[in-house]
Amino acid sequence: MTDTSGKRNKHKVCGSTVLLYAGAVFWTFMTLFPVAVTILASFKSKSEIYLNLMSWPDKFLFENYINANQTANAMRTITNSLIVASLTTAANTIIGMMAAYSLSRKGYRFLKYVYIFFMIGVMVPVHCTLIPINNFATALNVKNNLLFLILIYAAFNMSQAIFLYTGFMDGISRNLDEAAIIDGCGNWSLLWRILFPICKPIIATEAIFVFIAGYCELVFSMIMMTDSKYFTVSRAMLNFSSTHSQEIGNQFAFVVMSVIPMVIIYVVFHKQIEKGMLSGAIKG
Amino acid sequence: MPKNSSVHRVKNKIDKKDITVTILFLIPAILICAVFIIYPVIDTFVLSFKKWNGMFGAVKQWIGMENYYKILTDKMFWNAMLNSVYFMVGGFIILMPLAFGLALLVTSKIKGISLFRTCYFLPCMLGTTAVALMWTFILNPNFGVFHVIENWLGIDLPIPDVLAVKTLNIWIVILVNNWMYAGYNMLIFAAGLVAIPETLNEAAALDGASGWQRIRYITLPLMKNSFKVFSILCITGCLKVFDIIWAMTRGGPNDVSSTPSIMLYTQGFSYKFFGRSSAYGVILLVLGVTLSIVTNHILREDKDLVM
Repeated sequence: MTDTSGKRNKHKVCGSTVLLYAGAVFWTFMTLFPVAVTILASFKSKSEIYLNLMSWPDKFLFENYINANQTANAMRTITNSLIVASLTTAANTIIGMMAAYSLSRKGYRFLKYVYIFFMIGVMVPVHCTLIPINNFATALNVKNNLLFLILIYAAFNMSQAIFLYTGFMDGISRNLDEAAIIDGCGNWSLLWRILFPICKPIIATEAIFVFIAGYCELVFSMIMMTDSKYFTVSRAMLNFSSTHSQEIGNQFAFVVMSVIPMVIIYVVFHKQIEKGMLSGAIKG
Repeated sequence: MPKNSSVHRVKNKIDKKDITVTILFLIPAILICAVFIIYPVIDTFVLSFKKWNGMFGAVKQWIGMENYYKILTDKMFWNAMLNSVYFMVGGFIILMPLAFGLALLVTSKIKGISLFRTCYFLPCMLGTTAVALMWTFILNPNFGVFHVIENWLGIDLPIPDVLAVKTLNIWIVILVNNWMYAGYNMLIFAAGLVAIPETLNEAAALDGASGWQRIRYITLPLMKNSFKVFSILCITGCLKVFDIIWAMTRGGPNDVSSTPSIMLYTQGFSYKFFGRSSAYGVILLVLGVTLSIVTNHILREDKDLVM
């Protein structure tokens, strides 16, 4: 009796395993196919793309990349985006951690309202701030200023960061603070020497997402940057695809170039990202 | 006790300094949020009652509710709202089952799941604009996938530009968006799945429950929280969609694939109706805040969910 049921179970497991593999392979194909087509097409000449988009390139040409770099200034826009993304991440982490420290470690009553103030930021859709921000950017003459763009990005990621950091810090025992204070630690060193290292997992997860958001952001870059010297990569790609719509190979090459930094970050940090997501850290 | 009092004495000494430090630590964050979020919201609200062409020095004329009246009687506004609703519908009938299925895959016992997981998450690392352009190329009528298929079959029919056909184009954008975020939401569901104790499934298997029965009666009820997180993200996220639509269709042709946030952009920055655009902003804000409060209120039991 037990034997047969065990066998039947095994059979079933085999059947569902095949199904699982089929599903897994199918979606891997669905995910990688468009990426592969894009990469292959970036090495093809225009006529070859028109002949057959999906074919293997006759000869791998690097012209598209050279042209994309010259016409659309691909490297410069990617550098711009990387600068914006890294500084946004740094600002977001430092300012967010300082606020979270006050909110989590101090008992003053007004802090409750400050926390609510920050949480309002989560609900405000970014787009309804476009026009006022555009207006005072014009008034202050800070269009085409990467630093101003960084401040905007930092602001729109701040609420989430403060929410996560405060939540995480609340879970750290206060005994540690008291010991540190007795040892002569001030607020500043308590935050950066004691709490910061403990918060590293949540900071890393949040920082990766802020970095991606900063690198890819489109709409503020569209209204803030009018000089092509300061275009971020998303903006430049869109601009290039509408002004050079005939140079299709170059566009493929530009897209591939733009995702390379992201893919490198993903390859290096994918364990951290998956761990953070699986622990339910990021939900916004 | 003596330990505690010594701590208190130390604390008293630094008490005056303490509140200053507390505020100093908060100031950068408060300042940045006030300047870039709170002030703009108020300004949008005020401007939504005015008429302004966006030129500096041009008069901002007070026109009361006219902007709102114009928007609410505009067919294109309701079309844009409908497109947002399509996004939500697409999220629930396509993205949710897809992401849940993928989550079941990557938490099952088949070999190579970490490789599969890494693959599935990849699209949302590529960036919205890059993804949008990739798919725009692939769907291009002149050389894209339909052209390739026709070549294989040896037929030569005219291929429509699928991104220029009303309703069809918004659904294609939705599919691309779902393709991009399937991996992200997969991890949200996977987080719920790995939290289910293995012993429950084993016990049910011993009692003779089939795979489907186990999913239906054990997994799904225990996954309620993940579905809530997904619902909140999906409903509030759908209102904010901008980048992927803009990159694929520019909201066009003739605004038919717009959502309210795209209408806001085109009314303001293309047509120079900055007052009307601000009114769009206020509508968007009211909808956004209402939706996130209502969905949170309905779905939220645990306080640990992000709004």
